[in-house]
Amino acid sequence: MSSPLLFEAVTLSNRRGTVCDFAVPANDVVTVSGPEDSGVGSLGRLALGLDRPLRGRVLVLGEDIARLPRAAALAFRRRVGYLPAGDGLLQNLSLQDNVALPLRFGTGLAEHEIQGRVRIILTMMHLTEVGPARPAQVNDEQRRRAALARAVAFDPELVIMEQPFDGLTDRTAAELLEVATGGVAAGGSRRTVFITGQDMPHLLRQRVDMRYRVVGAQLVREG
Amino acid sequence: MAERVLLNQIWFTALQAVPLVIILAGLLSFLVISQAVRELGRLGATELIGTLIVVAVVRELGPLLTALAVAGRSGTAIAAELATNKVMGEVDALEGMGIDPMHYLVLPRLGAAIVSVSCLIVLFDAIAVVVGFTAAATNGMSPDRYFDIVLRSLAFGDVAQSIVKGLVFGAIIGALPSFHGLRVRRDATEVPIAASRAVVGSIVAIFLSSALFVALL
Repeated sequence: MSSPLLFEAVTLSNRRGTVCDFAVPANDVVTVSGPEDSGVGSLGRLALGLDRPLRGRVLVLGEDIARLPRAAALAFRRRVGYLPAGDGLLQNLSLQDNVALPLRFGTGLAEHEIQGRVRIILTMMHLTEVGPARPAQVNDEQRRRAALARAVAFDPELVIMEQPFDGLTDRTAAELLEVATGGVAAGGSRRTVFITGQDMPHLLRQRVDMRYRVVGAQLVREG
Repeated sequence: MAERVLLNQIWFTALQAVPLVIILAGLLSFLVISQAVRELGRLGATELIGTLIVVAVVRELGPLLTALAVAGRSGTAIAAELATNKVMGEVDALEGMGIDPMHYLVLPRLGAAIVSVSCLIVLFDAIAVVVGFTAAATNGMSPDRYFDIVLRSLAFGDVAQSIVKGLVFGAIIGALPSFHGLRVRRDATEVPIAASRAVVGSIVAIFLSSALFVALL
């Protein structure tokens, strides 16, 4: 099976021009970490075609989104779950409306089906009570849970997460990773998960299939 | 979802602005008609009050003042809100989810501004005519005569021109602040700058297009 996410000689926009050349195999959890100025934080945006790489290309589910026309790129991104750094929740919507947003725009589901699915996801993420609250009215952890709930609401085959575990306890981080992967099936995780960040909680390292780290100008495989 | 944003925007831009528009229309009309009845009465030209209220209030000042009030009130809000969306990473998150910010954020605001300004101008004109009656009555003119003069001067084309101006001014108030709001990068200090540019740009564009209307029609 081809890799859902493939970085082909992508040059990061850091001073050293680190080159990323790796694949994220299907049903694996892959992390890339590195210091703030390493450019690691841009990998998710490059994958989604929100930014163009200086050199090289990124293939998502076999497609170079950055080269697609705008409308096609937008439609293609609806197939990928995305948890941006800092959660990216819309402040003027409740948590439950935030979770419903990709379902309302990206699926042909009827409103009652959307409501049903949102209820299930909120229960799974322990957000039922704060569902009607706005992001500013809940704590960091609840916001992160809601952002992940939104990213997996339409059950994507690939999930891209930027700094998803910053400030969370190892236990919460493990729980969120479990939700992101969609549980374990015979061939590994049910979903393919790609995570970027400055560091990975120790407890999670054994649950990750591949770990990369930017060290100096090199991208090094750690495990 | 975008429909809900549109309704929220109409609520904020049109309905919440109703008291302000009523006050502006009432005061302007009272001042203009009081002065006109007094001064034109002295010259024996009270017939011109109808022309005055149609040309000055319905056709020119009504649309202009309504648009300026909405630009000051909602234009700044649109620019500040969208700039905050940008700074908080919400616009990028929408793009990342495959939702076009133009569709979700800009179009509802543009549509709401167009509908709101047009409706508020009609309200402004109606209030101005009614309050003008009070002003005329206070200054000794009979109600029948006032309405006779005004209705004889007022043509459907005047109201239609007001509404067309509302569509154009509304489009300016929806588009320019959205443009300035989404133009910021990820720096919170740019939010007030965007709001300020949006309102100044809107005011200039409203006056320019108003002058263009006078030149063309």
